[in-house]
Amino acid sequence: MANVVANRDRRRKAPVSPWKPKKKPSKPDGTIRSLNGKWGYLFVAPFVVMFLIFGLAPVAFSTKLAFYTYDPLSLKQTFVGLGNFVKLLHDDRFWIALGNTFEIWALSTFPQMIMAIGFAAILRNRFLRGKTFWRTILLVPNITSVIAVAIIFGQLFGRDFGLINDVIGFFGGKHIDFVENSFASHVAVATMITWRWVGYNSLIFLASMLAIPDDLYESASLDGAGAWKQFRYVTLPGLKNTITFVLIVGTIGGLQVFAEPLTLAGTTDGGDTHQLSTLTMFLYDQTFVNGKWGYGAAIGIMITIIVLIISLINFFVTRLVASEDK
Amino acid sequence: MSKKTLNRVLAAGALAATVGAGLTVATPATATASPVTLTIWTFGDVIEPAMLRAYKVIHPEVTIVLKKADLDPSMTNLTTACSAWVSSHRVGNPPDIAAVEVSYSGYWRAYPQCFTDLRTLNTSSANANAQSAVASSSNIAAGLSATDIKNNYLAWRWEQGVGYNDNVIGIPTDVGGLEVAYRTDLFKKAGLPTDRNKVSALWPTWDKFIAVGKQYMAKLTPAQKKSGMGFIDNVGTIYAASMNQGTYKYYQNNGTDAGKLVYKVQGKAPVYDPKTKKQKVDAKGKPVFTNGWVLNPNITKAWDYTIAANDAGIGTRIGQYTSDWNVGMTKGTFATILAPAWMMDYIKGQAPTTSGKWDIASLPGGGGNQGGTQLTIPAWSAAPNKQAAWDFINWYLAPQQQLTVFKTYGLFPSTKSIYSDPSLANFKDPFFNNAPVGSIYLTGIQKLQPIFEGKLERAIDTAIGAGLGRVASKKMTSLQSQIQVLSDLDKITTN
Repeated sequence: MANVVANRDRRRKAPVSPWKPKKKPSKPDGTIRSLNGKWGYLFVAPFVVMFLIFGLAPVAFSTKLAFYTYDPLSLKQTFVGLGNFVKLLHDDRFWIALGNTFEIWALSTFPQMIMAIGFAAILRNRFLRGKTFWRTILLVPNITSVIAVAIIFGQLFGRDFGLINDVIGFFGGKHIDFVENSFASHVAVATMITWRWVGYNSLIFLASMLAIPDDLYESASLDGAGAWKQFRYVTLPGLKNTITFVLIVGTIGGLQVFAEPLTLAGTTDGGDTHQLSTLTMFLYDQTFVNGKWGYGAAIGIMITIIVLIISLINFFVTRLVASEDK
Repeated sequence: MSKKTLNRVLAAGALAATVGAGLTVATPATATASPVTLTIWTFGDVIEPAMLRAYKVIHPEVTIVLKKADLDPSMTNLTTACSAWVSSHRVGNPPDIAAVEVSYSGYWRAYPQCFTDLRTLNTSSANANAQSAVASSSNIAAGLSATDIKNNYLAWRWEQGVGYNDNVIGIPTDVGGLEVAYRTDLFKKAGLPTDRNKVSALWPTWDKFIAVGKQYMAKLTPAQKKSGMGFIDNVGTIYAASMNQGTYKYYQNNGTDAGKLVYKVQGKAPVYDPKTKKQKVDAKGKPVFTNGWVLNPNITKAWDYTIAANDAGIGTRIGQYTSDWNVGMTKGTFATILAPAWMMDYIKGQAPTTSGKWDIASLPGGGGNQGGTQLTIPAWSAAPNKQAAWDFINWYLAPQQQLTVFKTYGLFPSTKSIYSDPSLANFKDPFFNNAPVGSIYLTGIQKLQPIFEGKLERAIDTAIGAGLGRVASKKMTSLQSQIQVLSDLDKITTN
């Protein structure tokens, strides 16, 4: 004990570094700190300028468009007030798209989360050989082009000659039409999303798991907890914040699903009964294919509102989770 | 395209021009012409590569860059490009030539400001001189504007490239005459006649066509039926074929530029019964009608033929232009395809082993038409590029070149001046059992009536196609789907 105190004292009395100025200069000039006031704006300017041109200006323009009908080729615009929004709320295609989006989101997010935590738990295992290899291949789907994924999965899910239906047929089952059948098509899209993101989320969970101190596990095993109980009472509570984070990111991504259903359906309207039409596909179809730019802008605003609502819910849930920790 | 790549392309063009000039010192026109790179936005097989190679020989200074996309995305791209032009008026963006399909011609005719008025361009003398160097291609005189070449083309085809303000915005490439391509070997197995005249006589009407289909299906073994074999590749194609045989589709020419929307008419509308999801019947079993909106008679007729064919089960469930379609063509999964002239080349390319097994019979219900394209020069193309583009279009779509394209690729010429040419009328295709395809398609095309194409043609077609699909996949009854189509079309056509 005495040694420790002595050490601490010695440290406090450590000689002053010759490089450290004895007195703080009265005017901050020549140091990086002085740049803060004058030059800081210059350094953030590239981002701000790009954001104004490519971020804020389009947002402002489309917000304005949402209250007009607009023809981009004749530049003719007519003010319609809230007309676009009223029409949107009465448009069954909007509700279909909204339902599809959330169904696909639910089908992809929850199984994905369970799988990702499972993978992470396996990768965390101290006795696993070739850890880096397994971590690397988990991330490969994530860096594959979405279109390539969609095309390959489109072939797997083919009605007549698809591999999955071949297997179903082999066991005497009836072929499933993964494009025409609404629920089956959502499962197909959710599978593509899960395949693409499960590895990425696994790594996030893994990082979070590695941050859980080993002594917690040691004391748990001393108390007689098996592998499952350790997972349930040590690992899962430690992942609480990460789960919330993955959920938020997944929700924002889920509202933007576009390439996978578009490639599977083959048409921007999402099929005969719009069974594969997501919110972003609906926006694209109305704006660029049907030429209703004002209406499309209104859909965009609506998506923003939905994202805001979900973010607020997430915010409160996160706060709830955080306050439980105290 | 990044600036670096652009420079590289330009440099390559310049190099090609220098080499070309070195080779053709004897032709002063090419030696003096400055290098130019033409970007063409196209889809399908509108621009044939072999023709481009021929053009390179007579115009070494012109480098042509083809950008191919699917039809609908390529039209979306053009809309985006034009909206950039009308709001900024910046000259020099691609493309220099844009191919516009006829289902979109009504749409683009409403926006002539996106295109160069082709009456204002004149072919250059460089073009004329260069062409005389190649004996096989026709000589294009200097100073030709769109007004001068108008009479070469079918009048109604020409109109599809004229804007609502009378600007000439596009020159027609081909006419998509529609006939029936059928497999003689499969017809023989089913006990049907194989001679093209006898086959044509089998189906003067669509009802008869469906009846022949049933006859064919009856001869298939249960195993063949289970493997998905059918008489026609896709019954949905009957809708478009029948629609194009009428005098109007969704619009009628009422003297105004935009035309009048006539997809629905007031009349006796079937009453929908939510319980049976079909038409309501009264106590005596008689169907109940009320006054209301119904799809116009032409749509109804084409719809009913398609549904009848679907119910008769004569079609496979394969979609056109899918990998299954290509496989089915070779394997003989279906015995007939409603084939526009331009599809002959596709069949040859996808099913080369079936050479000689195909033949062409005439379309039920008279002549047919499907597809065709106009070549346009967007308004934002730079002046030297516009000149080069106009020279190219004049060469590419001149009667002589269209005849070559027809003989090589099957695209039927839009230039009526060569319809009397014996080499067209007598042209036989060995792939199609030596059928005189020239005269068969010509006969059908001459029966055609011009149809007024409106702005939203393609969107309406798509919505009705989805409606037919819902019935085919048994998600809705025919009436239920028609009611849905009516409300969809109302939405599409209102702002």
